Amino acid sequence: MPISSGTLPASVVKLTAVEAKLLAREPGSFFAVVIPLFILVIFGFSLTPGDAVLLPTTLAIGVGLVGLYLVPTTLATYRERGILRRLAATPLRPEALLAVQLLLQLGLAVLGCGLLPVAVGALLGAAVPRPGLVPWAVAVFLLGAVAMFAIGLVIAAVAANGRSANGIGVLLYFPLAYLAGLMQPRHLMPEALAQAGEFTPLGAFVRSLRDLWAGDAPHPVHMGIMAAYAALAGLAAAKSFRWE
Amino acid sequence: MAIIEVSGLVKRYGGVAALDGVSFSVPEGEIFGVLGPNGAGKTTAVECTAGLRRADAGRIRVLGLDPVADARRLRRSIGVQLQQAQLPENIKVWEALDLYASFYERPRDWRGLLAEWGLAHRRDARFGGLSGGERQRLFIALALVGDPKVAFLDELTTGLDPQARRDTWDLIRRVRDGGVTVVLVSHFMDEVEELCDRVAVLDRGRVVAVDTPTGLIDGAGGGHRVRFRPLTPLDDALLTALPEVIAVSRDGDQVTVTGTGDVATAVTGALARGHVLVADLRIDRRTLDDAFTALTGRSFQP
Repeated sequence: MPISSGTLPASVVKLTAVEAKLLAREPGSFFAVVIPLFILVIFGFSLTPGDAVLLPTTLAIGVGLVGLYLVPTTLATYRERGILRRLAATPLRPEALLAVQLLLQLGLAVLGCGLLPVAVGALLGAAVPRPGLVPWAVAVFLLGAVAMFAIGLVIAAVAANGRSANGIGVLLYFPLAYLAGLMQPRHLMPEALAQAGEFTPLGAFVRSLRDLWAGDAPHPVHMGIMAAYAALAGLAAAKSFRWE
Repeated sequence: MAIIEVSGLVKRYGGVAALDGVSFSVPEGEIFGVLGPNGAGKTTAVECTAGLRRADAGRIRVLGLDPVADARRLRRSIGVQLQQAQLPENIKVWEALDLYASFYERPRDWRGLLAEWGLAHRRDARFGGLSGGERQRLFIALALVGDPKVAFLDELTTGLDPQARRDTWDLIRRVRDGGVTVVLVSHFMDEVEELCDRVAVLDRGRVVAVDTPTGLIDGAGGGHRVRFRPLTPLDDALLTALPEVIAVSRDGDQVTVTGTGDVATAVTGALARGHVLVADLRIDRRTLDDAFTALTGRSFQP
């Protein structure tokens, strides 16, 4: 490939820097970080020591908000405004912007979720997974994030514009959050819904997190469910994504 | 040598032909206009040429490259300003230029472009806060930041006030004089007449003529008209002897002279030499509007 030395990586580095600044200027990213933290702090004061529910719940809310709100809204807006099309006329591939955006949003999810255990450790004294489970925790987090991002990409692909992507994200977020048991403790939910919830991506994510917090490795079925959503939604997004 | 060659371009949208056999070629160093009413296929033709759309049939070469097969190589040497492309609301003017400059191997110094296009004082402003004219100038600067050999500019002066339009035309001439071939899509007759070396007139997906603006106007026939009321006796022979004059007619004390080329200068010169005083002198120059009507049998409705 006759790619001149350094040109392409330099442009991707610059693109990443500019997109990171844009993400930081976007009020939506602020909320995606602050809302889970806010919930954590509000409910945190009534925690019993060693609580293993609140932190997984807020982590899932954080990943869900970025994946279902921020990812589709940002990308659909970029398409709506012709930004992807304009980039397609430069030597840079628009795919680079897509990749940079997804990595930055993942970074945002990591940042937001990273704040949660820190806040918990500093203020509240809830449990965190034991050190032996940390590799599992990383795997669960990444798989959950990829599954939610893939669904976000499908929304970005089918939505007519940024506003409708936002609307679809909201519409999908609340039922998924409910089914995952993020809105109501599982034992208060109808049994059928609670069971169905395990087969949703956010539900499988929360169950895996709770297993970790309970001191167990995540259940392979839940990992498989997240992987299946990631693969199927990822494929659907790749098939249906429009650049203009 | 032709830097752009397009022949037999066909593009259909859902069975309807947006382009129906479009051909034109652009020599290096020209400002080439693509003129036509809305829906004539101007933007589609230019987007196919710039490699942003795939034509259904036809052959396109830009700088000797196929815009589809050699897309990546071509994109290093062209700049585009698209009609419906924005930037993120929160990107700053300098960030956009700095970013786009990084996409090219040998970009122009974007600080110079910033000054040239009157944006130096808006360097740190966000895109969302720019006026329509400022946005337009930023888009043109972004089209030029890669130091392209060919610049495609779609509806260049939309949203600009009259003074800004004239300033933009001057800058585009400077771009051409700097060796960049410019393809200019426009539905403004005055812009094309003022700026373009040659024009392709598009109507309903077909090229109805390619010529210089003057050539198109003269080719439309009918000639220019000069009308006046002589205050002292006038012998028609004084005017009919002029090579530019086709006919002289009288209606009461009103004289109407039709002719080609620079008939107005010839007539007023002859009147001065013959010491004929006139009043109510009116010159009706034929315009591209008339040329379009003559070519298509319809009036130009932008």
